Amino acid sequence: MRLRLALELLSLFALAVLIAVVPRFVSSFTAYEIATVGMYFIALLGLSILTGYSGQISLGHGAFMAIGGYTTAVLSVDGIYGHQIRDVWTIPIAGVVAGVAGLLVGIPALRLSGLYLALITFGLAVAFRQIPLKFDHFLGGTSGKVLSLLTTPFGLSAAPNHWIYYLTWGIAFVLLVVAWLFVRGKPGRTLKAIRDSEIAAVSSGISLARYKTLAFALSAFYAGVAGSLYAIARGFMNPDVFPVVLSVYLVAALALGGVDSFLGLILGASAIYVLINRSADVTHWLDHLPAVNLDPQRPGMPDVIFGAVLIVVLILLPTGVGGALRRLFGPLTTRLYSKS
Amino acid sequence: MLIAAFTWTEFAQQLAAGIRQGAVFAGLALALVIIYRSTRAINFAQGEMATFTTFVCWSLMNHGLSFWAAFPIVLVIAFAGGVAVERTIIRPVENGPVITIVIVTLGLALLLNGLMSVIWGGGNRPFDGPFSTRTIDVGGVPISLQDVGIVVVSFVLVALLAVFFRFTKLGLALRAAALNRDSSELVGVRVGWMRAFGWGLAAVLGAVAGMMVAPILFLDPNMMQTILIYAFAAAVLGGLDSPVGAVVGGLLLGVAITLLGRYVGFVGEELKLPAALLLILLVLVVKPNGLFGRVAVRRV
Amino acid sequence: MKALLLSLLAGGILVSAAGARPLATPGVSSSEIRIGSSVPLSGEAAIAGNVARGIDAYFKYVNAKGGVFGRKLKFTYLDDGYDPGRAVNNTIRLVQQEQVFAMFSSLGTSNNLAVRKLLNDAKVPQLFVSSGATTFGRDGKKYPWTIGYIPPYSEEGAIYGQYVVKKIKKPKIAVLYQDDDYGRDLYAGLRRGLGKKVGAIVSKVAYDPTSADVQPQVTQLKASKANVLMIFAFGKFSLQAFNAVSRLGWKPQIFVNDVSSASALMAIVPQKAANGAISIVFGKDPAAPAWRKDKGIRLSQSILRQYGTDIGPRDLQDGYYTAGMATAYTLVDALKKAGKNLTRDGIMRAATHLNEKGNPFVLPGIVVRTTPTSRFPLTQVKLQRWSAKAWHPFGKLLSAKPR
Repeated sequence: MRLRLALELLSLFALAVLIAVVPRFVSSFTAYEIATVGMYFIALLGLSILTGYSGQISLGHGAFMAIGGYTTAVLSVDGIYGHQIRDVWTIPIAGVVAGVAGLLVGIPALRLSGLYLALITFGLAVAFRQIPLKFDHFLGGTSGKVLSLLTTPFGLSAAPNHWIYYLTWGIAFVLLVVAWLFVRGKPGRTLKAIRDSEIAAVSSGISLARYKTLAFALSAFYAGVAGSLYAIARGFMNPDVFPVVLSVYLVAALALGGVDSFLGLILGASAIYVLINRSADVTHWLDHLPAVNLDPQRPGMPDVIFGAVLIVVLILLPTGVGGALRRLFGPLTTRLYSKS
Repeated sequence: MLIAAFTWTEFAQQLAAGIRQGAVFAGLALALVIIYRSTRAINFAQGEMATFTTFVCWSLMNHGLSFWAAFPIVLVIAFAGGVAVERTIIRPVENGPVITIVIVTLGLALLLNGLMSVIWGGGNRPFDGPFSTRTIDVGGVPISLQDVGIVVVSFVLVALLAVFFRFTKLGLALRAAALNRDSSELVGVRVGWMRAFGWGLAAVLGAVAGMMVAPILFLDPNMMQTILIYAFAAAVLGGLDSPVGAVVGGLLLGVAITLLGRYVGFVGEELKLPAALLLILLVLVVKPNGLFGRVAVRRV
Repeated sequence: MKALLLSLLAGGILVSAAGARPLATPGVSSSEIRIGSSVPLSGEAAIAGNVARGIDAYFKYVNAKGGVFGRKLKFTYLDDGYDPGRAVNNTIRLVQQEQVFAMFSSLGTSNNLAVRKLLNDAKVPQLFVSSGATTFGRDGKKYPWTIGYIPPYSEEGAIYGQYVVKKIKKPKIAVLYQDDDYGRDLYAGLRRGLGKKVGAIVSKVAYDPTSADVQPQVTQLKASKANVLMIFAFGKFSLQAFNAVSRLGWKPQIFVNDVSSASALMAIVPQKAANGAISIVFGKDPAAPAWRKDKGIRLSQSILRQYGTDIGPRDLQDGYYTAGMATAYTLVDALKKAGKNLTRDGIMRAATHLNEKGNPFVLPGIVVRTTPTSRFPLTQVKLQRWSAKAWHPFGKLLSAKPR
């Protein structure tokens, strides 16, 4: 136990050092890219609390990211009563707004089994993009909202790309530590008790509802923060910035990379980054392989590979990569089988 | 304020369009229900499977076949594909947690979507359906022959399936396998193959839905994505384990959504999908078994 | 915890001081000029991506003849699937990683609007955008690094309005338009062109560019009993609109906007609905009988054959390639005017002082002219009518210049 704690602390420290040092060795634009990976990492972190520890499936976390992105966009462009809010300060607000939305989803979610929750949240991901289209005067419709160019605030002299890198990974690190404490502390242990047997947990006086909705709200908060950072980094927000497929990628990355290890989460976030932002490059790279002739007008190959990998891994390693999938599916096994 | 006022002619046309949409929803919802009954899981790849088989049809027509010549070939391919999917990727995980099956179907959806893009390109293309775009006069209202054709085909398909399930030995075996696995095995039903058969049937239903809707929506890899959500809503509305519910739910939803979108200003075109989603939520909270379903959905 | 975070931040700032140094003029070296573009190569607008391919072929042709002042044009175009978010990603990458000299002919109104601020803030030229939104030509003061190219949509709408007033008795107009700046620009122009007769518009319905099907909208429009239909829709929606009109048994006088009027698209809709449709045109359409033997078209086809990739017989008839070459011709013209000592300021000065008469890919008589306050390179068009599976231009050159 002590040893495990020591190892975890050591790896946290190593991560901190890595974050601090990496920009020295890469180009400015690469730092920007790694920052984007960090944003997906934050979203995955939140999702891992929800799915891994409280056992609830969400195929709609892209929608929470979008809520965060839109909050930032509206506050920094339109402001409140005409008073524009600096982009950095919108980040926590965006997180809270998304968190509230998560709470609102979490309440009805209590009455839904895993399958139906997956269905509803998937529907949420698809249907959410219609909201900015309906309220397009406020939210910009498909043309979206254009934010100010990314600049370094407070008179600091860092390049904007480095600023966003440190901002993102700084926040990611803090949120990681928070998640770590949450999981190791009372809330986490309570969730584990719920996960292992709801009936026993309830009979020992634990309020199921409170903890499960808390998990939903917290995970949505994380996603909102990630979405806010993403919008700030790009200076643009519209309904397709967080597409439906992103919600699918988030869950898939979690299933592949594992809920427990933050290395798995970082790898998952990197995979998502490649699929969403660098897909054309993968196609291009694959094209170089002999006997492969891929047309840039037909860019689906990365999805084919990812889908295939997902299927194969889930079939061959049902107990999961790094033993973590067990954690992912454990909570649902008891629930779904005790019914039939 | 510049929107045309209510006319009975337009209402009839919107109603016809709504019924046609509902027929498509019903087909896909029925596919979802068949799979749910046999595997207790929701196939998130149903839409992509349908689009994929529609692309196969398009390819065949490109090579010179007429639609009705390609049609049976596509159905056979769809059936084989559905069976293959069940036997290869669903079977290894079908006794595990439902969430695994869901993620596997999501993986399949990604794979198929990407594959369609790789093989046929991502743009949309016209699809020469079997029904001409001529209109016929029904009591003074021009109704499209295409809409009529789609509804008729869907109706015939559903009727055939109903007959199949009710009156044939195979249909009986399928229902038995879905209802009670162990007892069925005892009387000699090959449950595994029954499941595969169910997936094959579902794939056929999806293929028909895809081929019916492609002339209107134009064929592209993402064609069925929103329809899938509506199909989910229809299946939940009707009851996830009720084939009758799927059909009724589909028709009701199609008409309701079309009329809501046209006549309720607030909903308009944009909020149709969220409205359907709200409906799913409402049904799950108020009457979780849907209109005709029987299985408990709530949990402790 | 706080200390950790602060020290991370401080360390980061120190470390980032050793950043990359920018080139003298980014994207320009003694041997090449790097140009970037973001266009739809996949997805529903993929057919318009041929504009970029036409540009690419034309640049290769120019390079084969020595380039511009000895510098070869290196054209990098990335796929954005007509999605503004991806266009933003592509543009950031082209500017920061590829270090292009200028962004050129990116396609899509929303796409170009999404990147306009970031390009102007970074002082990177946004040249000859492939969009007719009036703002690209009109707002040069606020966005000095941006300039449009194709005739502004608002003027196109006005031309249709003026035609209706002049030629159609008792007009009752229904309008289907895309619910974004592109569609709204056309609609506003139509209203202006109708002048006093603006009351002739009896019904207007917008659709979202990610809708599945516009038949419900067309059904609604038909119910207004209009005898004129304006299709201000893009790509598949335009096709669906024609299909819906045919399916509903409606026979209005149709006006279809320029970007959806490609011959390849018009040829596959029900001809019953398409015949008689009117649009505008500024370029030479290789599929139109009028230009079959034209020298400019012959040139574009030979360039495609020699320098294009995967060119089939259908591509030689595709007007998007020619539109790309027209734009590329203007860019090369501007580069030459900017002189040997090429700077970003220089190219903007050249682009806003154009007076180009010899563009072989646009209608004869068109002069490509710009000033710093009137950034509309193409302001002359002709009307054309569809019949017998082809476009037939008629009448004189009309002005599409905003006043």
